[in-house]
Amino acid sequence: MSRRARVTFLAVAAALSVAACARVKPYQREHLARRAMVSDEQPGEARFQQHARGSREGADGGTGEAGGGCGCN
Amino acid sequence: MRLQLILIAATLASAGPARADGELSVRGAYYKERSTRVEQPMMDARFDVGEQGELRAHMLVDSISSASVAAGAAGTPFDEKRYEGGASYLHTLDIFRFGGGARASSEPDYKSAIASLRGEVALAQRNTILGLNLAGGRDTLSNEGAQSDIVDPIEGRLWTALGSLSVSQVLTPVLVAQGTYDLVYLSGFQENPYRSVSAGGTLEPERVPATRLRHAVQGGLRTFLPMTRTTLAGSYRFYVDDWGVIGNTPEVRVIQEIVPDLDAHLRYRLHHQTAADFYETTYPTADPAVEPYLTDDAKLSELTTQTIGLKLDVLASLVGIHGQLGQARAEAMFEYIIQSTYFGNAVAAQIAVTFPFRY
Repeated sequence: MSRRARVTFLAVAAALSVAACARVKPYQREHLARRAMVSDEQPGEARFQQHARGSREGADGGTGEAGGGCGCN
Repeated sequence: MRLQLILIAATLASAGPARADGELSVRGAYYKERSTRVEQPMMDARFDVGEQGELRAHMLVDSISSASVAAGAAGTPFDEKRYEGGASYLHTLDIFRFGGGARASSEPDYKSAIASLRGEVALAQRNTILGLNLAGGRDTLSNEGAQSDIVDPIEGRLWTALGSLSVSQVLTPVLVAQGTYDLVYLSGFQENPYRSVSAGGTLEPERVPATRLRHAVQGGLRTFLPMTRTTLAGSYRFYVDDWGVIGNTPEVRVIQEIVPDLDAHLRYRLHHQTAADFYETTYPTADPAVEPYLTDDAKLSELTTQTIGLKLDVLASLVGIHGQLGQARAEAMFEYIIQSTYFGNAVAAQIAVTFPFRY
Protein backbone atom coordinates (compact mmCIF):
# COMPACT_ATOMS: atom_id res chain seq x y z
CA MET A 1 0.00 0.00 0.00
CA SER A 2 1.47 3.35 -0.98
CA ARG A 3 2.11 6.09 1.55
CA ARG A 4 -0.66 8.24 0.05
CA ALA A 5 -3.15 5.35 0.27
CA ARG A 6 -2.15 4.67 3.91
CA VAL A 7 -2.62 8.33 4.85
CA THR A 8 -6.00 8.40 3.12
CA PHE A 9 -7.07 5.17 4.82
CA LEU A 10 -6.01 6.46 8.25
CA ALA A 11 -7.80 9.78 7.68
CA VAL A 12 -11.02 8.02 6.68
CA ALA A 13 -10.72 5.58 9.59
CA ALA A 14 -10.14 8.45 12.03
CA ALA A 15 -13.14 10.33 10.65
CA LEU A 16 -15.38 7.27 10.94
CA SER A 17 -14.12 6.64 14.48
CA VAL A 18 -14.98 10.18 15.50
CA ALA A 19 -18.39 9.81 13.87
CA ALA A 20 -19.00 6.53 15.66
CA CYS A 21 -18.10 7.99 19.07
CA ALA A 22 -20.11 11.19 18.81
CA ARG A 23 -23.66 10.72 20.06
CA VAL A 24 -25.11 14.10 20.93
CA LYS A 25 -28.70 13.60 22.11
CA PRO A 26 -31.57 15.70 20.75
CA TYR A 27 -31.98 17.48 24.13
CA GLN A 28 -28.31 18.51 23.98
CA ARG A 29 -28.76 20.42 20.74
CA GLU A 30 -29.87 23.78 22.08
CA HIS A 31 -26.66 25.51 21.04
CA LEU A 32 -26.33 23.53 17.81
CA ALA A 33 -29.74 24.84 16.71
CA ARG A 34 -28.58 28.46 16.88
CA ARG A 35 -28.64 30.06 13.46
CA ALA A 36 -24.98 30.99 13.67
CA MET A 37 -24.15 27.33 14.27
CA VAL A 38 -26.23 26.08 11.35
CA SER A 39 -25.11 28.66 8.82
CA ASP A 40 -24.34 32.33 9.19
CA GLU A 41 -25.06 33.02 5.52
CA GLN A 42 -28.35 33.35 3.71
CA PRO A 43 -28.53 31.71 0.25
CA GLY A 44 -28.53 35.06 -1.55
CA GLU A 45 -25.52 36.31 0.37
CA ALA A 46 -23.50 33.18 -0.35
CA ARG A 47 -24.58 33.15 -3.99
CA PHE A 48 -23.43 36.73 -4.60
CA GLN A 49 -20.09 36.14 -2.89
CA GLN A 50 -19.50 32.96 -4.86
CA HIS A 51 -20.37 34.77 -8.07
CA ALA A 52 -17.99 37.64 -7.32
CA ARG A 53 -15.16 35.30 -6.36
CA GLY A 54 -15.72 33.13 -9.39
CA SER A 55 -15.15 36.12 -11.65
CA ARG A 56 -11.99 37.25 -9.86
CA GLU A 57 -10.30 34.03 -8.72
CA GLY A 58 -9.39 31.07 -10.88
CA ALA A 59 -9.61 28.59 -8.04
CA ASP A 60 -13.22 28.67 -6.92
CA GLY A 61 -15.23 25.63 -5.91
CA GLY A 62 -15.55 23.57 -2.76
CA THR A 63 -18.98 24.92 -1.96
CA GLY A 64 -20.93 21.95 -3.29
CA GLU A 65 -22.58 24.15 -5.89
CA ALA A 66 -21.93 24.43 -9.58
CA GLY A 67 -20.37 27.81 -10.22
CA GLY A 68 -20.26 29.77 -13.42
CA GLY A 69 -23.50 30.47 -15.17
CA CYS A 70 -22.34 33.77 -16.52
CA GLY A 71 -20.03 35.07 -19.17
CA CYS A 72 -17.95 37.11 -16.76
CA ASN A 73 -14.77 35.13 -17.29
CA MET B 1 -39.47 18.69 34.85
CA ARG B 2 -36.29 20.54 33.96
CA LEU B 3 -35.40 17.82 31.46
CA GLN B 4 -38.84 18.16 29.87
CA LEU B 5 -38.42 21.92 29.55
CA ILE B 6 -35.00 21.45 27.93
CA LEU B 7 -36.49 18.91 25.55
CA ILE B 8 -39.30 21.26 24.57
CA ALA B 9 -36.90 24.19 24.15
CA ALA B 10 -34.51 22.09 22.07
CA THR B 11 -37.36 20.83 19.89
CA LEU B 12 -38.64 24.35 19.32
CA ALA B 13 -35.14 25.65 18.66
CA SER B 14 -34.27 22.90 16.23
CA ALA B 15 -37.53 23.50 14.42
CA GLY B 16 -36.93 27.25 14.31
CA PRO B 17 -37.30 27.92 10.59
CA ALA B 18 -40.31 25.56 10.35
CA ARG B 19 -42.45 27.70 12.66
CA ALA B 20 -43.34 29.73 9.64
CA ASP B 21 -44.62 28.22 6.47
CA GLY B 22 -42.22 30.23 4.43
CA GLU B 23 -39.73 33.06 4.24
CA LEU B 24 -39.28 35.84 1.74
CA SER B 25 -35.96 37.62 1.53
CA VAL B 26 -35.25 40.78 -0.43
CA ARG B 27 -31.60 41.67 -0.83
CA GLY B 28 -29.53 44.32 -2.55
CA ALA B 29 -25.87 43.61 -3.26
CA TYR B 30 -23.21 46.02 -4.48
CA TYR B 31 -19.65 45.42 -5.68
CA LYS B 32 -17.21 48.09 -6.80
CA GLU B 33 -13.65 48.06 -7.91
CA ARG B 34 -11.58 50.41 -10.05
CA SER B 35 -13.15 49.57 -13.40
CA THR B 36 -16.18 47.42 -12.61
CA ARG B 37 -19.37 48.00 -10.68
CA VAL B 38 -22.07 45.39 -10.03
CA GLU B 39 -25.49 46.05 -8.54
CA GLN B 40 -27.65 43.03 -7.87
CA PRO B 41 -31.19 43.15 -6.46
CA MET B 42 -32.52 39.69 -5.68
CA MET B 43 -35.37 37.83 -4.04
CA ASP B 44 -35.20 34.46 -2.31
CA ALA B 45 -38.23 32.53 -1.11
CA ARG B 46 -38.64 29.36 0.90
CA PHE B 47 -41.94 27.48 1.18
CA ASP B 48 -42.79 24.48 3.29
CA VAL B 49 -44.61 21.94 1.15
CA GLY B 50 -46.64 19.74 3.44
CA GLU B 51 -44.83 18.27 6.42
CA GLN B 52 -41.84 16.95 4.54
CA GLY B 53 -41.16 19.13 1.56
CA GLU B 54 -39.29 22.36 1.11
CA LEU B 55 -39.34 24.50 -2.01
CA ARG B 56 -36.83 27.28 -2.60
CA ALA B 57 -36.77 29.79 -5.42
CA HIS B 58 -34.78 32.86 -6.31
CA MET B 59 -34.57 35.50 -8.97
CA LEU B 60 -32.05 38.27 -9.50
CA VAL B 61 -30.81 40.92 -11.86
CA ASP B 62 -27.11 41.60 -12.26
CA SER B 63 -26.41 45.12 -13.48
CA ILE B 64 -22.79 45.28 -14.56
CA SER B 65 -20.92 48.43 -15.59
CA SER B 66 -17.35 47.99 -16.68
CA ALA B 67 -14.58 49.88 -18.42
CA SER B 68 -14.45 47.18 -21.07
CA VAL B 69 -16.12 43.98 -22.17
CA ALA B 70 -13.02 42.13 -21.04
CA ALA B 71 -13.57 43.53 -17.57
CA GLY B 72 -10.43 44.97 -16.08
CA ALA B 73 -8.69 45.95 -19.30
CA ALA B 74 -8.82 49.33 -20.94
CA GLY B 75 -11.47 49.53 -23.60
CA THR B 76 -14.99 50.56 -24.42
CA PRO B 77 -17.26 51.12 -21.42
CA PHE B 78 -20.34 48.93 -21.33
CA ASP B 79 -23.44 48.33 -19.24
CA GLU B 80 -25.08 44.95 -19.22
CA LYS B 81 -27.83 43.17 -17.36
CA ARG B 82 -27.96 39.50 -16.46
CA TYR B 83 -31.18 37.84 -15.35
CA GLU B 84 -31.17 34.66 -13.28
CA GLY B 85 -33.89 32.48 -11.81
CA GLY B 86 -33.81 29.17 -10.05
CA ALA B 87 -35.82 26.76 -7.95
CA SER B 88 -35.14 23.61 -5.96
CA TYR B 89 -37.16 21.11 -3.99
CA LEU B 90 -36.07 18.82 -1.15
CA HIS B 91 -38.23 16.07 0.32
CA THR B 92 -37.59 14.42 3.67
CA LEU B 93 -38.37 10.75 4.15
CA ASP B 94 -37.26 9.42 7.53
CA ILE B 95 -33.46 9.69 7.53
CA PHE B 96 -33.29 10.55 3.84
CA ARG B 97 -33.59 13.89 2.11
CA PHE B 98 -33.57 14.13 -1.64
CA GLY B 99 -34.57 16.43 -4.42
CA GLY B 100 -33.35 18.54 -7.26
CA GLY B 101 -33.31 21.93 -8.79
CA ALA B 102 -32.61 24.02 -11.83
CA ARG B 103 -31.19 27.44 -12.55
CA ALA B 104 -31.09 29.54 -15.69
CA SER B 105 -29.27 32.74 -16.49
CA SER B 106 -29.45 35.06 -19.47
CA GLU B 107 -27.39 38.03 -20.60
CA PRO B 108 -27.04 39.50 -24.08
CA ASP B 109 -24.16 37.26 -25.13
CA TYR B 110 -24.37 34.36 -22.69
CA LYS B 111 -27.06 31.87 -21.67
CA SER B 112 -26.64 29.25 -18.99
CA ALA B 113 -28.77 26.41 -17.63
CA ILE B 114 -27.88 24.07 -14.78
CA ALA B 115 -29.86 21.17 -13.32
CA SER B 116 -28.94 19.39 -10.10
CA LEU B 117 -29.90 16.40 -7.96
CA ARG B 118 -29.21 16.19 -4.24
CA GLY B 119 -29.43 13.36 -1.73
CA GLU B 120 -28.70 13.32 2.00
CA VAL B 121 -28.79 10.68 4.69
CA ALA B 122 -28.79 11.40 8.42
CA LEU B 123 -27.03 8.77 10.52
CA ALA B 124 -26.18 8.16 14.16
CA GLN B 125 -29.23 9.95 15.60
CA ARG B 126 -28.71 12.74 13.06
CA ASN B 127 -25.20 13.43 14.30
CA THR B 128 -23.78 12.56 10.90
CA ILE B 129 -25.19 13.86 7.63
CA LEU B 130 -23.76 12.62 4.35
CA GLY B 131 -24.68 14.43 1.16
CA LEU B 132 -24.24 13.91 -2.55
CA ASN B 133 -24.85 16.61 -5.12
CA LEU B 134 -24.76 16.02 -8.89
CA ALA B 135 -25.18 18.81 -11.39
CA GLY B 136 -24.92 19.30 -15.12
CA GLY B 137 -24.91 22.55 -17.03
CA ARG B 138 -24.90 23.83 -20.55
CA ASP B 139 -23.77 27.36 -21.43
CA THR B 140 -23.96 29.01 -24.82
CA LEU B 141 -22.13 32.09 -25.94
CA SER B 142 -22.83 34.34 -28.87
CA ASN B 143 -21.64 37.88 -29.46
CA GLU B 144 -24.70 38.69 -31.52
CA GLY B 145 -26.19 41.75 -29.85
CA ALA B 146 -23.25 42.25 -27.50
CA GLN B 147 -21.73 45.69 -26.87
CA SER B 148 -18.41 44.98 -28.53
CA ASP B 149 -16.22 46.21 -31.38
CA ILE B 150 -15.83 42.62 -32.57
CA VAL B 151 -18.06 42.17 -35.59
CA ASP B 152 -17.09 38.62 -36.53
CA PRO B 153 -19.60 36.14 -35.12
CA ILE B 154 -18.38 34.20 -32.11
CA GLU B 155 -20.26 31.21 -30.83
CA GLY B 156 -19.40 28.59 -28.29
CA ARG B 157 -20.78 26.01 -25.91
CA LEU B 158 -19.61 24.88 -22.53
CA TRP B 159 -20.69 21.74 -20.70
CA THR B 160 -20.27 21.51 -16.95
CA ALA B 161 -20.53 18.43 -14.73
CA LEU B 162 -20.27 18.59 -10.94
CA GLY B 163 -20.06 15.80 -8.39
CA SER B 164 -19.93 16.86 -4.76
CA LEU B 165 -19.68 14.84 -1.56
CA SER B 166 -20.32 16.46 1.80
CA VAL B 167 -20.27 15.37 5.42
CA SER B 168 -21.42 17.18 8.53
CA GLN B 169 -20.56 15.68 11.90
CA VAL B 170 -21.76 16.82 15.33
CA LEU B 171 -18.82 16.23 17.64
CA THR B 172 -20.08 17.70 20.92
CA PRO B 173 -23.12 19.78 21.96
CA VAL B 174 -21.17 22.88 20.89
CA LEU B 175 -18.90 21.63 18.09
CA VAL B 176 -19.67 20.65 14.49
CA ALA B 177 -17.26 19.58 11.76
CA GLN B 178 -18.03 19.80 8.08
CA GLY B 179 -16.30 18.82 4.87
CA THR B 180 -16.97 18.99 1.13
CA TYR B 181 -15.24 17.56 -1.89
CA ASP B 182 -16.13 18.96 -5.32
CA LEU B 183 -15.13 17.49 -8.64
CA VAL B 184 -15.96 19.67 -11.64
CA TYR B 185 -15.38 18.86 -15.28
CA LEU B 186 -15.71 21.57 -17.90
CA SER B 187 -15.71 20.92 -21.62
CA GLY B 188 -16.10 23.46 -24.36
CA PHE B 189 -15.59 27.17 -24.91
CA GLN B 190 -13.84 28.65 -21.87
CA GLU B 191 -12.20 31.70 -23.38
CA ASN B 192 -13.31 35.28 -22.97
CA PRO B 193 -13.99 36.15 -26.62
CA TYR B 194 -13.26 39.82 -25.99
CA ARG B 195 -9.84 39.28 -24.40
CA SER B 196 -6.78 39.88 -26.55
CA VAL B 197 -3.30 38.68 -25.62
CA SER B 198 0.01 40.17 -26.68
CA ALA B 199 1.84 37.45 -28.61
CA GLY B 200 4.68 37.85 -31.10
CA GLY B 201 4.15 41.60 -31.23
CA THR B 202 0.48 41.38 -32.18
CA LEU B 203 -2.78 41.04 -30.28
CA GLU B 204 -4.23 37.55 -30.53
CA PRO B 205 -7.55 36.16 -29.27
CA GLU B 206 -7.25 34.27 -26.01
CA ARG B 207 -7.08 30.49 -26.32
CA VAL B 208 -7.20 28.01 -23.45
CA PRO B 209 -7.68 24.22 -23.25
CA ALA B 210 -11.14 22.94 -24.16
CA THR B 211 -11.39 20.85 -20.99
CA ARG B 212 -10.69 21.53 -17.34
CA LEU B 213 -10.82 19.17 -14.37
CA ARG B 214 -11.12 20.91 -11.02
CA HIS B 215 -10.88 19.45 -7.51
CA ALA B 216 -11.73 21.38 -4.36
CA VAL B 217 -11.66 20.07 -0.80
CA GLN B 218 -13.03 22.17 1.99
CA GLY B 219 -13.14 21.39 5.71
CA GLY B 220 -14.27 23.40 8.68
CA LEU B 221 -15.11 23.49 12.37
CA ARG B 222 -17.77 25.59 14.05
CA THR B 223 -18.18 26.00 17.79
CA PHE B 224 -20.31 27.98 20.21
CA LEU B 225 -18.90 29.42 23.45
CA PRO B 226 -21.86 29.71 25.85
CA MET B 227 -19.94 31.88 28.35
CA THR B 228 -19.42 34.72 25.89
CA ARG B 229 -22.26 33.86 23.45
CA THR B 230 -19.67 33.66 20.68
CA THR B 231 -19.68 31.40 17.63
CA LEU B 232 -16.30 30.67 16.07
CA ALA B 233 -15.95 29.15 12.62
CA GLY B 234 -12.76 28.23 10.81
CA SER B 235 -12.36 26.59 7.45
CA TYR B 236 -9.70 25.70 4.94
CA ARG B 237 -10.11 24.99 1.26
CA PHE B 238 -7.59 23.37 -1.07
CA TYR B 239 -8.02 23.58 -4.82
CA VAL B 240 -6.14 22.01 -7.70
CA ASP B 241 -6.91 21.68 -11.41
CA ASP B 242 -5.26 20.31 -14.52
CA TRP B 243 -4.43 23.79 -15.78
CA GLY B 244 -1.84 24.02 -12.99
CA VAL B 245 -3.76 26.30 -10.66
CA ILE B 246 -3.35 25.42 -6.98
CA GLY B 247 -5.29 27.41 -4.41
CA ASN B 248 -5.23 27.64 -0.62
CA THR B 249 -8.01 29.46 1.19
CA PRO B 250 -8.25 29.69 4.97
CA GLU B 251 -11.13 31.63 6.52
CA VAL B 252 -12.16 32.54 10.06
CA ARG B 253 -15.43 33.97 11.29
CA VAL B 254 -16.45 35.30 14.68
CA ILE B 255 -20.15 35.76 15.34
CA GLN B 256 -20.80 37.62 18.54
CA GLU B 257 -24.21 37.96 20.13
CA ILE B 258 -24.24 41.62 21.22
CA VAL B 259 -27.63 41.28 22.87
CA PRO B 260 -30.26 38.61 22.24
CA ASP B 261 -31.51 39.01 18.62
CA LEU B 262 -28.52 41.12 17.53
CA ASP B 263 -25.40 39.43 16.16
CA ALA B 264 -22.21 40.97 14.81
CA HIS B 265 -20.18 38.91 12.33
CA LEU B 266 -16.50 39.53 11.69
CA ARG B 267 -14.80 37.63 8.85
CA TYR B 268 -11.34 37.29 7.43
CA ARG B 269 -10.56 35.26 4.33
CA LEU B 270 -7.20 34.73 2.68
CA HIS B 271 -6.93 33.27 -0.80
CA HIS B 272 -3.71 32.51 -2.60
CA GLN B 273 -3.35 30.68 -5.87
CA THR B 274 -0.58 29.80 -8.27
CA ALA B 275 -0.74 30.68 -11.96
CA ALA B 276 -1.96 28.37 -14.67
CA ASP B 277 0.89 26.55 -16.41
CA PHE B 278 0.38 28.47 -19.65
CA TYR B 279 -0.31 31.95 -18.20
CA GLU B 280 1.95 34.79 -19.43
CA THR B 281 1.48 38.54 -19.62
CA THR B 282 3.08 38.48 -23.11
CA TYR B 283 4.10 35.62 -25.37
CA PRO B 284 7.16 35.61 -27.67
CA THR B 285 5.13 34.07 -30.50
CA ALA B 286 1.51 33.34 -31.40
CA ASP B 287 2.46 30.14 -33.29
CA PRO B 288 0.10 27.44 -31.95
CA ALA B 289 2.84 24.86 -32.42
CA VAL B 290 4.97 26.74 -29.89
CA GLU B 291 2.31 28.37 -27.73
CA PRO B 292 -0.88 26.29 -27.94
CA TYR B 293 -2.54 28.44 -25.30
CA LEU B 294 -2.52 32.20 -24.82
CA THR B 295 -4.00 33.98 -21.83
CA ASP B 296 -3.22 37.00 -19.70
CA ASP B 297 -6.41 36.52 -17.68
CA ALA B 298 -5.68 37.85 -14.19
CA LYS B 299 -7.78 35.05 -12.69
CA LEU B 300 -5.23 32.58 -14.00
CA SER B 301 -2.23 34.49 -12.64
CA GLU B 302 -0.60 33.99 -9.27
CA LEU B 303 -2.72 36.11 -6.98
CA THR B 304 -3.59 36.83 -3.38
CA THR B 305 -6.92 38.08 -2.13
CA GLN B 306 -7.73 39.16 1.40
CA THR B 307 -11.29 39.84 2.47
CA ILE B 308 -12.29 41.58 5.67
CA GLY B 309 -15.99 41.62 6.37
CA LEU B 310 -18.43 42.89 8.96
CA LYS B 311 -22.10 42.00 9.16
CA LEU B 312 -24.88 42.97 11.53
CA ASP B 313 -27.89 40.70 11.83
CA VAL B 314 -30.92 41.82 13.83
CA LEU B 315 -34.36 40.36 14.53
CA ALA B 316 -37.43 42.61 14.67
CA SER B 317 -38.18 41.30 18.15
CA LEU B 318 -35.24 43.42 19.35
CA VAL B 319 -37.35 46.55 18.88
CA GLY B 320 -40.39 45.12 20.62
CA ILE B 321 -42.21 43.59 17.66
CA HIS B 322 -43.82 40.33 18.71
CA GLY B 323 -45.45 37.39 17.05
CA GLN B 324 -44.55 36.14 13.62
CA LEU B 325 -43.32 39.54 12.47
CA GLY B 326 -40.92 39.56 15.37
CA GLN B 327 -38.99 36.88 13.49
CA ALA B 328 -38.41 39.25 10.57
CA ARG B 329 -34.71 39.86 10.15
CA ALA B 330 -32.55 42.63 8.76
CA GLU B 331 -28.93 42.28 7.69
CA ALA B 332 -26.27 44.77 6.66
CA MET B 333 -22.87 43.62 5.44
CA PHE B 334 -19.71 45.35 4.29
CA GLU B 335 -16.56 43.79 2.87
CA TYR B 336 -13.21 45.26 1.90
CA ILE B 337 -11.34 43.09 -0.59
CA ILE B 338 -7.61 43.50 -1.12
CA GLN B 339 -6.65 42.09 -4.53
CA SER B 340 -3.11 41.74 -5.83
CA THR B 341 -4.26 41.77 -9.46
CA TYR B 342 -4.77 44.77 -11.72
CA PHE B 343 -8.45 44.73 -10.77
CA GLY B 344 -7.37 46.63 -7.65
CA ASN B 345 -9.04 46.62 -4.28
CA ALA B 346 -12.81 46.30 -4.07
CA VAL B 347 -15.67 47.00 -1.72
CA ALA B 348 -18.82 44.93 -1.45
CA ALA B 349 -21.98 45.62 0.52
CA GLN B 350 -25.30 43.91 1.02
CA ILE B 351 -28.50 44.81 2.80
CA ALA B 352 -31.39 42.40 3.23
CA VAL B 353 -34.70 41.96 4.99
CA THR B 354 -36.33 38.57 5.52
CA PHE B 355 -39.97 38.09 6.42
CA PRO B 356 -41.59 34.88 7.64
CA PHE B 357 -45.10 34.27 6.31
CA ARG B 358 -47.92 31.75 6.40
CA TYR B 359 -50.06 30.68 3.51
